[in-house]
Amino acid sequence: MTYLIKRVAGAVVVLLVMSFIVFCLQSIIPADPVRAVAGPSAPPETVEAIREQLGIDDPTVVQYGRFLQRLVHGDLGISVRTRRPVAADIWQYLPATLELALVSIVLGAALSGVMALLQFRFMGSTGIRLAIIGIGSTPIFLSALLLAYFFWFRLGWLPGAGRLGFSGFTGPTGFNLIDGILTGRPDVSVDALKHIFLPALALALPIGVAVGRSLNGALHDVLSQAYVRTARGKGLSETSVLLHHGLRNAASAPLSMFSLQVRLLFGGLLVVERVFGWPGLGLYAVQAFASADLPAVLGVAMVFGILYIMVNTLVEISQSLADPRIDL
Amino acid sequence: MTTLSHRTFETATTKPVLAIKDLSVTLSREGRRSRVLDGISFDLFPGEIVALVGESGSGKTSIGLTIQGLLPRESQPHVTGSILLTGIELVGAGAHTLRHARRHVVRAISQDPMSALNPTMTIRRQMRESNGASNASIADWLSRTGLPDPDRIADSLPHRLSGGQRQRVLIAMAMMAKPKLLIADEPNTALDVTTQQQILDLLRDHAREHTAILFVTHDLAVAASLADRVLVLYAGRIVEIGHIRDVVRNPAHPYSAGLLAARFDFNSDRLRPLPTLPPERGHSVNIESACAYATRCPLAQPDCTAIRPALLPVSSHRGTAACLHSEQTPFLAKPGAFSKPWPAKMTQEGTVLKLSNVGKSYPTGARSFWGFRRLKPVLKSVSLSIKSGECVALVGESGAGKSTLLRIAAGLLAPESGKVSRFDDLLPQVVFQDPISALTPWLSIGEQIGERLRALSRDSDYRRRRVGEALNLVGLDPVLMDALPSELSVGQCQRAVVARGVIVRPKLLLCDEPISAMDVSLAATTLNLLGDLRRRLGMAMLFVTHDLAAARIIADRIAVLKDGELVEVADPDTLLAAPQTAYTRSLIAAVPALDTRQGR
Repeated sequence: MTYLIKRVAGAVVVLLVMSFIVFCLQSIIPADPVRAVAGPSAPPETVEAIREQLGIDDPTVVQYGRFLQRLVHGDLGISVRTRRPVAADIWQYLPATLELALVSIVLGAALSGVMALLQFRFMGSTGIRLAIIGIGSTPIFLSALLLAYFFWFRLGWLPGAGRLGFSGFTGPTGFNLIDGILTGRPDVSVDALKHIFLPALALALPIGVAVGRSLNGALHDVLSQAYVRTARGKGLSETSVLLHHGLRNAASAPLSMFSLQVRLLFGGLLVVERVFGWPGLGLYAVQAFASADLPAVLGVAMVFGILYIMVNTLVEISQSLADPRIDL
Repeated sequence: MTTLSHRTFETATTKPVLAIKDLSVTLSREGRRSRVLDGISFDLFPGEIVALVGESGSGKTSIGLTIQGLLPRESQPHVTGSILLTGIELVGAGAHTLRHARRHVVRAISQDPMSALNPTMTIRRQMRESNGASNASIADWLSRTGLPDPDRIADSLPHRLSGGQRQRVLIAMAMMAKPKLLIADEPNTALDVTTQQQILDLLRDHAREHTAILFVTHDLAVAASLADRVLVLYAGRIVEIGHIRDVVRNPAHPYSAGLLAARFDFNSDRLRPLPTLPPERGHSVNIESACAYATRCPLAQPDCTAIRPALLPVSSHRGTAACLHSEQTPFLAKPGAFSKPWPAKMTQEGTVLKLSNVGKSYPTGARSFWGFRRLKPVLKSVSLSIKSGECVALVGESGAGKSTLLRIAAGLLAPESGKVSRFDDLLPQVVFQDPISALTPWLSIGEQIGERLRALSRDSDYRRRRVGEALNLVGLDPVLMDALPSELSVGQCQRAVVARGVIVRPKLLLCDEPISAMDVSLAATTLNLLGDLRRRLGMAMLFVTHDLAAARIIADRIAVLKDGELVEVADPDTLLAAPQTAYTRSLIAAVPALDTRQGR
């Protein structure tokens, strides 16, 4: 309970700091949001009216205070670009991004297990090491482009753009994978899976390499510990030794690495959604940057901040589950 | 080879639990293969306790691991010979056979109870893994090892238990599987002295019933208090087998005799250097056709380096020994008997360290909402002063606050209350418990020792000369200046650490359990070195130890620390003759003495 209160308090502080930083950017960025809305040839009266409407002439402190006040009411302001409330925009694009992020995380976790096992099995193999260095050193925009190029453009195995091949499908949750099943349209789910595979793989690869490496290292340390010898001395099977005595004790460092990688995934989302035309928050944010749409950028940053705090909390909880000596 | 086991215990009908024939093991270490066991043969019978005695590196631990099939895989073990465990051949056996043997026939208790239990699993689950026991049986086995409140213990995680409690848990865990063979690898060295004896009693009492015990130790006195027979191991070979009382009274092999002479207890002469095993001398020989001990042996003759001696019956007792000249062993002059006594007392007037009412506490337990933790006092108002040239031993069990006091004296920790006065321009130098981890692995010995001279001189020739002098002072060859710590033995590393401490002569040297992880002979050598240095250089010393026998030998005064308070400070003879507190008496009683009458 104390832990939960501390976490929420921490989240509020983080959000305040974040909102302040993003807000300060407003005065530094040379782009003019008014011109972005009104266009370069708008008459001065229109510009003036928009300035008035956006409250840009007020002192910064007042603007920030007003922003915080609205924030408490769930109002993130009006997007300069789409002219719609930012909150509504985010609500519209969030499911697509969440779906992609979750699938990437699950795929990344699976990949890291595979990577750790491969490294463990073929210890010191040059092939494995080269593969790991190769994947690990490829920047995400390059791996996303390569995946799209080979599997979509050259081989045509998988679709390379958008979320769905069907038009006009909307489900109750916004998660196409689930909605397909909920609405009795398994074909939709399968199609959604095909669409999500390449972008999710592009995001999962760096997670898999980094976490897999860390897991392999931790496992090596743990398996040379005296208590593993005790476990083997009891005549337990290797599987049982690995599962009950190895993995759990090796979990802490890979979990920390996992939380770090998930944070990097938010940055990767911007690139990957752009490359694969994935209609999510990342794409929305990229477009917002291009048009200096500060309320939208701020809103997306806040959402990612909240998501990161949630991920971090989940990781901490799972760390304390893995090692009961850690008090939350 | 003739039949090697000296059968004192078996009757004609009993079959051995363990029959080892001509067992050899080679391991690869950093790319080089080395033979850790060489032609080992012996039998072990039900209900028998056999001690395996030798210095570190003699291969005594490897025998246990080989029987369990748990030699580290990365060292690519190559095993030849035969191990028959209850009639089943283990050499060359498949993983399944070995696992079956570990599950049902052989169990082990390891050296370090602190790391031998899985830290994230409750005791109950770990015990259940042992043989799928019920809760009642788990509680029963825990209480049989003398643990109070077995249900609470069973539900605890290992880090809530003390070292002694954990070792009891490990013994219960091994015994509940009712193994035919129990391998106990120095099960008591990592424990407090008062706990050590209890663990030995426990093993003796509980394991007698049809379990054979292979008891690995470096201390013949501990072996004598427990075992029936003893195998003395040197460089992977058995050099002597016999009834423990025979070997302790009339050792036939010069190495056994040397081991016995090197151990020290309350009866050792503290006015002169302790006898030690002779060091390696002369060029190395091809040990395939030589006695491995020949290069150290005081009795060595030319034939010792030409013939590999077999284990043959000896005249001095009913056992066997592998020595061509064993009939001369009884005439072996007690090494060190004619060594010169230490110079007379050299404590001078003047104080080098004065601790007045020093107190210190550490946070423990869970953090509160604001991140504060409860403070547990570790030192409560300790006052102690050390005179110039004096050696004070600080004795107590783990958790008494010994190391904290030493760190405060060294200036590594600030006391919370009280005052520390040092009367030296230099901070005191510290010699830590583990010499290997006290040296930086990638710097040469000379660089590490010479580091402290950087402030004095930029002249690298001068520094090399001073480092060479310091190495000579601690009895190391100055050639080792350019060696890395990994190329040195533990004993050499400890000497290097001491050299680093004394290259710029401190008025006070602080030693934190410098011998607790060493075998007897190395411990005696280290005590001699420190005793010699402090007298030659006129250094005062604070020597932290849990071993009263070592404290008595090195120190001019002994201070007994219990729960953060000094309960008694006296000179060694007074303290041992008339201990003032029950705690001191229990510490004295816990030191094993070499007494052959005891045990049977």
